[in-house]
Amino acid sequence: MSSTETEYRDLKSAATSHRGDRVFNRTVTLAAFTALAVLAGIAVFLGLQTIPAFESQGLSFLTTTAWDINTDPPTAGIWGMLYGSILLAVVGLVIAVPASLLLSIFMVFLAPKRVATALTNLIDLMAAIPSVILGLWAFYILNPSAEEWQRLLNQYLGWIPIFQNTSGNFLGTPFIAGFVLAIMMIPIITSVSREVLARTPPDLINASEALGSSMWTMLRYVALPYGRGGIVGGVMLGLGRALGETIAVFFVLKIVFEVNWYQIIESGGGSVATLIVSRFGEVSGEFELSLLLAAGFFLFVMTLIVNVIANLIVARTGRLQK
Amino acid sequence: MTITFDAESLPALQEQRIQHPWRKKTPVFTWSVVLATLIPLVIVGALFIWGDIPGALLMTVVYLPLQLIASGFAAFATRGKRGILDSVIIVNAIGATIFSLVILISVIGSLIVRGFSALSAHFIYQNNVYVSPSTPLEYGGIGHAILGTLLIVGISALIAVPIGIATAIYITEVRGRAVPYVRFFVQAMSGVPSVVAGLFVLTIIVATGAFEQGAFAGGLAYAILMLPTVARTAEEVLKLVPDDLRTGALALGSTRARTVFRVVLPAARTGIITAIILGVARVIGETAPLLLASGYADSTIVNPFGGPIAAVPTYIFNNVALPYPDAVARAWASALVLIVLVGILFVIARVVGRGRLSSK
Amino acid sequence: MATAEFGSLDEVGEVELMDSEVSAPVRKETEMSARDVSVWFGKRKVLEGVNIDFPKQTVTALIGPSGCGKSTFIRTLNRLHELIPGAALAGSVLYEGKDIYDRDIDPVHIRLKIGMVFQKPNPFPSMTIRGNVLSGLKLSGMKRSDHDDIVEQTLTSAGLWTEVKDRLGAAAGELSGGQAQRLVIARALAVQPHVLLMDEPCSALDPASTLKIEETIRELSKDVTIIIVTHNMQQAVRVSDYTAFFLAAENEPGHVVEQGATTEIFGNPQDQRTLDYVNGRFG
Repeated sequence: MSSTETEYRDLKSAATSHRGDRVFNRTVTLAAFTALAVLAGIAVFLGLQTIPAFESQGLSFLTTTAWDINTDPPTAGIWGMLYGSILLAVVGLVIAVPASLLLSIFMVFLAPKRVATALTNLIDLMAAIPSVILGLWAFYILNPSAEEWQRLLNQYLGWIPIFQNTSGNFLGTPFIAGFVLAIMMIPIITSVSREVLARTPPDLINASEALGSSMWTMLRYVALPYGRGGIVGGVMLGLGRALGETIAVFFVLKIVFEVNWYQIIESGGGSVATLIVSRFGEVSGEFELSLLLAAGFFLFVMTLIVNVIANLIVARTGRLQK
Repeated sequence: MTITFDAESLPALQEQRIQHPWRKKTPVFTWSVVLATLIPLVIVGALFIWGDIPGALLMTVVYLPLQLIASGFAAFATRGKRGILDSVIIVNAIGATIFSLVILISVIGSLIVRGFSALSAHFIYQNNVYVSPSTPLEYGGIGHAILGTLLIVGISALIAVPIGIATAIYITEVRGRAVPYVRFFVQAMSGVPSVVAGLFVLTIIVATGAFEQGAFAGGLAYAILMLPTVARTAEEVLKLVPDDLRTGALALGSTRARTVFRVVLPAARTGIITAIILGVARVIGETAPLLLASGYADSTIVNPFGGPIAAVPTYIFNNVALPYPDAVARAWASALVLIVLVGILFVIARVVGRGRLSSK
Repeated sequence: MATAEFGSLDEVGEVELMDSEVSAPVRKETEMSARDVSVWFGKRKVLEGVNIDFPKQTVTALIGPSGCGKSTFIRTLNRLHELIPGAALAGSVLYEGKDIYDRDIDPVHIRLKIGMVFQKPNPFPSMTIRGNVLSGLKLSGMKRSDHDDIVEQTLTSAGLWTEVKDRLGAAAGELSGGQAQRLVIARALAVQPHVLLMDEPCSALDPASTLKIEETIRELSKDVTIIIVTHNMQQAVRVSDYTAFFLAAENEPGHVVEQGATTEIFGNPQDQRTLDYVNGRFG
């Protein structure tokens, strides 16, 4: 009897052929798609709110910076805020990326095990500090010393354009806001890069040490290239967090409806997330509310893109390393 | 040829002590390290005492470069040219670690120092009804805000925990075809800014009018933020449950559903608790969504649909920038309460999580 | 004990077990049988054309070198095979005269009647010893009131009663490997299966525990039909009435080379490869 002639049974559907399990499966599957439903809901509900914004402002809603609701016709645009979000994020990244990398190098390759474990816990604790507390701290503790630092920067390095300050006011600057964002990003970037660095295969490290490499060459040619993808992903995750951060920035940044292009120690700047909270408290009516919701839509899209890219990078390096 | 062992020529065994030959350091090494540590400290110390330079500036502009140079020399003396770059990395890595720790200590320390002044028993249970920003600290408290936070977090947990665990069950137990997509959406959802979650709930209120600003709306907004954390942590812990147990249960004639509820979830119980705690810790300090979704009130409210309600973060928000020292002191004290809440959750999650690992 | 539950077996006639040249030592009713079973994982065929009959209340040993598909085969007998993604199958497995892979058959019901013990002891860590024994009843939704009797009976059958009767409320994790495996056997017996599949039940255990389990198997075979995968040839001789020898050539699916009474397979094998294998020349 030849068995190859007999019917080939694909058992995929058989695995759930119990009736009770079909109900269970359906319920769980439905729940699993909640995430998609919420994302779609946000996109649709906030997306619809862009219609009144574009109807009244046209494309200049994205390209202008003024926010004069009570004029007739009203003019409002979020360009300055969009640009401001990116400027703050860049300032934050410039501080957070080297600090996080060095911190994770210290934890993985230099610190004794106990110290590394303690540091891991402390960094996790740092990630758990609510942003409202960080904002409170930044407003009362960071502000005065940051003001002093910025004065010194301006005094000695004022000839560099980014350290210009014409108003003499060193509070509410993009630098301070970016610094607060950096404090939020450091735990995120550190925990991701610590993990990828710790996963550097010991074989590779041993091999490079057997070749007489120094710590620097081991990092430069083995560990960092190996973990590069994961580190970039971690940086992107931090960036996503920075773009969406609201309250802490709200406490320290002076929101102005002008574009602050590069003067990071000049008072005044903007960010989309902060715009929403700062205007919401004194919103003039339904029209302005829908403008804020539209701004929220673009914030959502911006962070979604950054996050998706970050997760793709992290997932891809995770797979490569397996 | 005969071989004879001369017992006396062998090293006496009892004289051997435990040794770590690789730990032996040359005098050059020891001196380099000592000098490289002391010289910059002495110079900076002298400048701090007799010079007129602010401490922080001294540390960054004088000490750090000085330490880099000193360490470079020390490295050069002990390991030659290749040691110099290593010393640069080591000094900077230690510097970055100290920088992060200083910030952490500054945040926690300032909370403790400034928060204690307004803290008292009545601060924990009284509400804010008869309190104006200038009312002295003998009156009023954040009882209403603590209650509001608990109510809002409770509502969000009721919504997000079952859905989050079900999502994890879909990924690890049902293992349907959509697993990669579900994972992707959950990760994308974890990146939704908290202010957007608040706006979304606000648009639902505006569009449907089914409910108004209040604890329920705040809970919905929190649930959006909590769900991905619960789902991802629960997924991790369910993956740790060995497949043996699943097949074991199925071989006993169990259905999938019973296997999950009676075997898999109980086996992962502590991990599931960790997932819930991490979810709660993720949202408990969020402010922006509550500003939009639940508003603020000075009175104690227990009805989820009873209109605007206070929570600890929004209470802090409302008091931070007021020009009254007592209001600011109240903000610090509530921040202290909030960080203690977060810290308790954090420690519970760690302890429970450790129990899970050791019981394996 | 389980015999009382045996339903109508009219469909299953008396089957002669051996090929005609070997005279069958006994004739027994067939409990279940595999007909032309071939198995795939994805596109890879791992088992081809397996035909075996399992007589009622006997022990059948499945032997053969690693990777010949015996463990896969035993998992097709109670529909655990299909839980692996990409699993596929041809042929049929008859139990009570019906193909267990028929569309209207509930796999949960099949697994209830055809129990299984695995290589690694897998008691449920979140339950007590007693809870583990009764877990099958809970998990399968069986309603029975005489819980104390079941616990005592099955633990006695599994040869564990005297060791644990004073600490039934203890966590199952406290048991040694051999005890845990006997607990798992008791757990499988509590739902009163007609067939018990054992996939190398002793491979993770020490010799003393192995001996205990072998005694248990001999004892159980008075009531239950047992199919056991084993790498241990002495074990097959000691516990089984019938033996089937599986073999897979390199990159070929496994198949049954020879089957018959255990005494014949080990004493007078017809195939050279069987002779080599049972004498320990390969595998």
